[in-house]
Amino acid sequence: MDPTTAMYVEQGIHGLAYGMVLFLVASGLTIIFGMMGILNIAHAAFFMLSAYFCYQVMVWTGNFWLGLLVAPIAAGFVGVLVERFLLRKVHAYGHIGELILTVGVMLVIMEAVKVFWGTESLFVTRPQFLDKLVKMGGLEYPAYRLFVIGLTLVILGIMALLLYKTRLGMVVRAAVSDADMVNALGINVPLVFMFVFGVGTWLAGIAGVAIAPILTVFPGLADQMGLDAFIVVVVGGFGSLKGAFIVAIICGLLCSYGVQFVSQLAPVLMFIFMAVVLGFKPLGLFGERE
Amino acid sequence: MMNKTTKWILWAVMLAILVFYPSLFGIYYTNVFVIFAVFALYAITFNLLLGYTGLLSFGHAMYFGAGGYATALALTHIEGCPLLVALLIGFLASVVLALIICPIVVRVSGAAFAMLHLAFGQLMYVLALKFRNITGGEDGIGGFPIPPFDIPGVVSIDMADPLKFYYFAMAVLGMSIWILWFFTKTPFGQIMVSVRDNANRVDYMGFKVPQTKAVIYTFSGGFAGVAGSIYAMFQNLITADGALHILNSFSPILITMVGGVGSFFGPIWGSAIFGIIDELTTRYTERVELVMGVILIIVIMFFPGGFTGLLGFIKEKWFGKESDKAAMEEAS
Repeated sequence: MDPTTAMYVEQGIHGLAYGMVLFLVASGLTIIFGMMGILNIAHAAFFMLSAYFCYQVMVWTGNFWLGLLVAPIAAGFVGVLVERFLLRKVHAYGHIGELILTVGVMLVIMEAVKVFWGTESLFVTRPQFLDKLVKMGGLEYPAYRLFVIGLTLVILGIMALLLYKTRLGMVVRAAVSDADMVNALGINVPLVFMFVFGVGTWLAGIAGVAIAPILTVFPGLADQMGLDAFIVVVVGGFGSLKGAFIVAIICGLLCSYGVQFVSQLAPVLMFIFMAVVLGFKPLGLFGERE
Repeated sequence: MMNKTTKWILWAVMLAILVFYPSLFGIYYTNVFVIFAVFALYAITFNLLLGYTGLLSFGHAMYFGAGGYATALALTHIEGCPLLVALLIGFLASVVLALIICPIVVRVSGAAFAMLHLAFGQLMYVLALKFRNITGGEDGIGGFPIPPFDIPGVVSIDMADPLKFYYFAMAVLGMSIWILWFFTKTPFGQIMVSVRDNANRVDYMGFKVPQTKAVIYTFSGGFAGVAGSIYAMFQNLITADGALHILNSFSPILITMVGGVGSFFGPIWGSAIFGIIDELTTRYTERVELVMGVILIIVIMFFPGGFTGLLGFIKEKWFGKESDKAAMEEAS
């Protein structure tokens, strides 16, 4: 394969890996929004929190796999606590109150990690056997990124099964379209809300651990990812999982090819993409409501 | 209730406090007061959107920044640019920015409005960092000359003196706040509140909702620009991190929520409370945002009306019954 094609493919893999991680974050965001009507500003903060948890687990045990297992669950647990003890109490004051509450949660998490872990970049080492290049068809792929893509696909598969093939998934989907009606049918909707919020933050947590060895762990980690995830959710349409997936992949590729070809414009490329889409479809590509 | 004389006395007392404040508290607290006043105006313009019209913006900093950058650029590049012209340029820059953005944002509301602002605000932040030769990148624009306040033939006051700048800033900010207050008392201000409460009904009554929102939006943006402009002149510096950063979009939210959303004077209380908290916490910890986040959560959970709501509650509890009794006695 000639070098130009190799470059295209390599950038494609990078973009795909970022897009996949982006989807993990955005999927939680969009499910929570679709179901509870809450736009969780703190979502990216949970993403970062999980990366820090993973670092801490690595410090204690040195085992990346344990970090991948434990850190997202811990982040999800924090998410559950936030939903149960904070968000639920302000539900009565309407969506704007909830939105601003999540701003408060974000500020607290962002600053708390600085108190506990300082402001320097912390390194999370990837497992030995993923720290190499995989040769395939005359090309070299970084194994870790392939692993990230694979991991995300597996989780995506599990989520799809859970959401579309189980009774629980049915309840969640029903609650997305009409929470009051589901509540009237005798299902404990607040409990489902708590569960969904936990799963959403858990997904963001997995993304945080997955990205930690690539970008290192630092307090600004959430800024870029949070913004990109919001763009994905807005462009894909609030509450649409399909939209989030497609747009996340597009955004990932846009980022990596953007840096390659129009490096000057790369930081604003996503915003231009968003402005163009919203100009034609104010509700996003697959959005059905505001 | 309050008769006219007491009202005038209150105004006079407030004016006297403003005039004698610098000589009472010294120059350090005078500077703190200017920052407080800047953020009070900034938060009031934000509250015009959130409290009055029900539009939550996560990117209000872009108007603050636009005003600041425009003023800084005018003072740097235009030789002998008068003070008031620089201020006007800051105001107009924000108005123009608002006019560019409002066709897109007035069609949506709620979360979509907030998110669009988050994105636009961040776009401005990135642009300010990228266009290094205009905005100075991370360093921002600083060290521009502050011209004297000059009315030809009448008066010329040197603005480099912080004390004189204090009076100038107070005059501008006070006037802006008064204009906005007047604005909310006009019939148009009533439509503003109706848009928040029931946009469909306003539409049925024959008022144009998107256009109404656009006018309020432009007003709000323009006066946020005035706040930014004064801020830039006061600091003699405007940076992307100081003015356009997302935290600067969150600070009017915090101030408005703590002060009392929907009440016109709430943000002023909020700005004062935050000024005091900031003064106190910076002595003990660098993590001021942590304290503010905790305060925000507590306020939303327990005092959704903010400080003015709390005041109203106390008034009701301690003074309400007596007035009720008095009213009943009068009735019988």
